[in-house]
Amino acid sequence: MTTFDEQMMRRALQEAADDFVIADGAIGRILDEARDTASRDDGPRIRAFIQRHGGGRSTVFAAAACVALLAVAVPLFNSEGPAKPVNALGAEKKYVHGVALPASSNPEFTSIQGTGSAGTVATTGSSFTPTSGHDTLSVTTGVDVAKESSLRVEEVGTIHLTVGGKHFQSTLLQLTDFATTDGGFVASTQSHMGTKATHSYSTGSIILQVPEHNFTMLVDQVRHAGVATSVQTSATDVTGQYVDLRARIAASEVSRAQYLKIMTRTNSIGGILAVQDQLNSIQSQIEQMQAQLNLLNTETTYATLTVAVSESGHQTTTPTTKRTGVDKAWHDSLHGFAAGVEWLIRIAGPLLFALLLLTVLLVLGRWTWRATERRRGGIG
Amino acid sequence: MSDAVDVDELRTWLEDGYASSVRTAYLILGNRPDAEDAVQESFLRAWKFRDSLATGSSFKPWLYRVVVNTCNSKLRKEIPHRNRRRPDDDLDDVAMIDDPIGRVTLSHDVISALKDLPTHLRVVVVLRYYADLSEHDIAIVIGRQPGTVKSRLNEARRRLAEHPALQSEAPRPITVRKESKS
Repeated sequence: MTTFDEQMMRRALQEAADDFVIADGAIGRILDEARDTASRDDGPRIRAFIQRHGGGRSTVFAAAACVALLAVAVPLFNSEGPAKPVNALGAEKKYVHGVALPASSNPEFTSIQGTGSAGTVATTGSSFTPTSGHDTLSVTTGVDVAKESSLRVEEVGTIHLTVGGKHFQSTLLQLTDFATTDGGFVASTQSHMGTKATHSYSTGSIILQVPEHNFTMLVDQVRHAGVATSVQTSATDVTGQYVDLRARIAASEVSRAQYLKIMTRTNSIGGILAVQDQLNSIQSQIEQMQAQLNLLNTETTYATLTVAVSESGHQTTTPTTKRTGVDKAWHDSLHGFAAGVEWLIRIAGPLLFALLLLTVLLVLGRWTWRATERRRGGIG
Repeated sequence: MSDAVDVDELRTWLEDGYASSVRTAYLILGNRPDAEDAVQESFLRAWKFRDSLATGSSFKPWLYRVVVNTCNSKLRKEIPHRNRRRPDDDLDDVAMIDDPIGRVTLSHDVISALKDLPTHLRVVVVLRYYADLSEHDIAIVIGRQPGTVKSRLNEARRRLAEHPALQSEAPRPITVRKESKS
């Protein structure tokens, strides 16, 4: 067994400790401290002779815990009522579509037939052929109740209009006037002028954006600008998302203020860096949420109406919304497949013709060659 | 009135145990200011909770327990989070005063080896070989079973014996030798 000389260890420690000269007055200071603590009502508090730096980290952690608690609690207290069904984006969806009934005498309250419920996203609107030359279509957004200023509703719509060939240009101008009159603007426009020579029809689309409270009026104006073959509108209540974002921003700003306060009290570099990390993270979150809030503000301030205009006799196509992500990839793939099949079909005709021609030539050549051979044999 | 009497009692404690306590803390902590601070804190804490010392219990281990706990607390909470103190306060720089060279070298090497021990082993070595407490009393001080103390002492001795500072040169005051288990 390995061991060592204990006596030597004792002597070495003794000698090392003897180098420690007891400071004069050390005992006196402790006694003074004891008298001070005895005289205080709140019990003895020990004052250190040296400055402590390590305590700052405990303070930082304690403050961080408070901040985290606050950040969780504030949105909870700010949330409104029981949870409502939400979609993947956290917004409550309200959508109305279906066959419209004749307009009610009270435009503020119209009945709705068709499918649709909260939390669902509609796929198509209804389309119909106008009968008896009079427009029987009425449109309800289903969110008239959402017109209160406290509500945030995102409204979009699509209308297909058919107009006479002579009125195509004037209709586009009229639509532009509708938007500007209602306090909005034209976001984009696109048109194709057809000619009799090419037997093509004029088509076009125009995207109008108007203040959300004028959306219903705009829809009404637009559908009377021509023959509306289909009308589709949807409204999304994003009030919950809006309130939640504001609460989270407020909580994060409180957290940021707390961390800034902590920063002023932190002495150690490690503590400062830790607080700085937290501050950077919170600042980034605030900016992201602010951007989302701004987007929601814009989307709920202006409603968007897409109007597809086509000349009478032209088969209208439903303008599709811009696809993104997997949906876009899937449709691109389908389109590519269809294009490939189309190409095969397209080249199949010429190929078949070439094949037939080749076969005929071969048959003719063989027949000619045999006739020639036969003639030579006869001669020979 | 009662406080004045108690402060006199504290004075007695300090006169009897301050020097040994502060040197013990010095060996455990490795620097003078922390040792003084720890012992001041320990005495005031012990004095504040003097009623918790059970009648008939030994005062010395109890006081050492307070000192060791305070040192452990400092090693765990304060010292790792701040810059090291001035080098001349460290045990690494045990004063090279007019002592004979052998004595200084011995102290320096032992302290160097001691500082490389983990805290729980350093504490038992200091209590055993400097404070001269029995294994039973050390068990009281650190709040463990005597068997744990024995085991820690064995581990500390093994590590010290194998430490390069205590092996490199010969002759050394501390020698490693083989012996049968006693």
